[in-house]
Amino acid sequence: MNCPMESRNPETLVSYAAGELDLETAQALEQHLASCSHCRAVAAEQAALWKALDKWQAPSVSLDFDRRLYRRMEEEARRSFWQRMAHPFRPMLLRQFVPLTVSAGLLLMVGLILEHPHKVATASHRAEAVRAEQVERTLDDLELLQQFSAAQTASADHADAM
Amino acid sequence: MEPGVNNDMGVAVAALDYDAELMLRVKDGDGASFGLLLERHRSSVIHFIYRLVQEEAVAEELAQEVFLRVYRSRESYEPTAKFTTWLFRIATHLALNWLRDGKHQRGQESLDHGFPELPARQVADRRRSVEQEMVYQDKLREIRHAVASLPEKQRVAVLMHKYEEMDYAQIAKVLGCSESAVKSLLFRAYETLRARLAHMVRA
Repeated sequence: MNCPMESRNPETLVSYAAGELDLETAQALEQHLASCSHCRAVAAEQAALWKALDKWQAPSVSLDFDRRLYRRMEEEARRSFWQRMAHPFRPMLLRQFVPLTVSAGLLLMVGLILEHPHKVATASHRAEAVRAEQVERTLDDLELLQQFSAAQTASADHADAM
Repeated sequence: MEPGVNNDMGVAVAALDYDAELMLRVKDGDGASFGLLLERHRSSVIHFIYRLVQEEAVAEELAQEVFLRVYRSRESYEPTAKFTTWLFRIATHLALNWLRDGKHQRGQESLDHGFPELPARQVADRRRSVEQEMVYQDKLREIRHAVASLPEKQRVAVLMHKYEEMDYAQIAKVLGCSESAVKSLLFRAYETLRARLAHMVRA
């Protein structure tokens, strides 16, 4: 066998360490390894690496892995059932649902506007009532003040006279 | 598709790939065949993704997505390639996308700070002394770090070759490159690993 490292076929050494070579090729390589220290070193290192990589074990799979997967599949199936049901109506929905929604929105707005003036009128009526009440109270207060100042003036005059 | 054609295809595929035949049964509405596929490939898919992303919970989540995609594609499934080639192509695609999206940053930090997510059975082995356990965990950390530091394609090729025992032809199909490219990819990857883990592999 030609030297794998010199004949640009070094992957043969990887395959050898992985035990992938057929018996005939493996025996031919072993004969070569006996006389080639470079290939022997690479093959030995690759074999050691192969063994070292075995240390890395993957964790065991969660016990509920399948249950979670089947649940997700069921959810998807349920969703797609409704999608399938709605599918024949989809073009109709696209054509008619949007204008219908817009019309319904407009009607709602008109309804609110028609409803609104009544509310506004009631509110302004209440505001006017409150305002009149306030004016009345202010006038009463002014009258009281006038009476108070008149009383004060009278008592001052009386004191002067004494 | 005509039933006759489907059956003929099923027979032809069964000779080559039992999984593809199962998938054709799933396509015909046989849920039990999906269960069999899951049973046959659940562990290998999860373990492969786990070694790529190095996070246990993420690996299971991504593996669920892999099997969901397989199930979703059942109606359009055609056995043009080996089933496991298709399966691992989906798994590789999802795992690499997850890594590229930068979702692994937290994982990368854990990679640098002692792998808190080590699988339970590797956390402690009562047959080893405390000192032996520490040495073992150190070696394990180095191995994981060395593999994680490989370029994407080399890493995927090594994981499929070493742990999933795939041959060069199948790895080439999953990666979408030639068989000779895979051979050279693997040799370079193992060369890097031998250099990085020199103290473990040199006598």
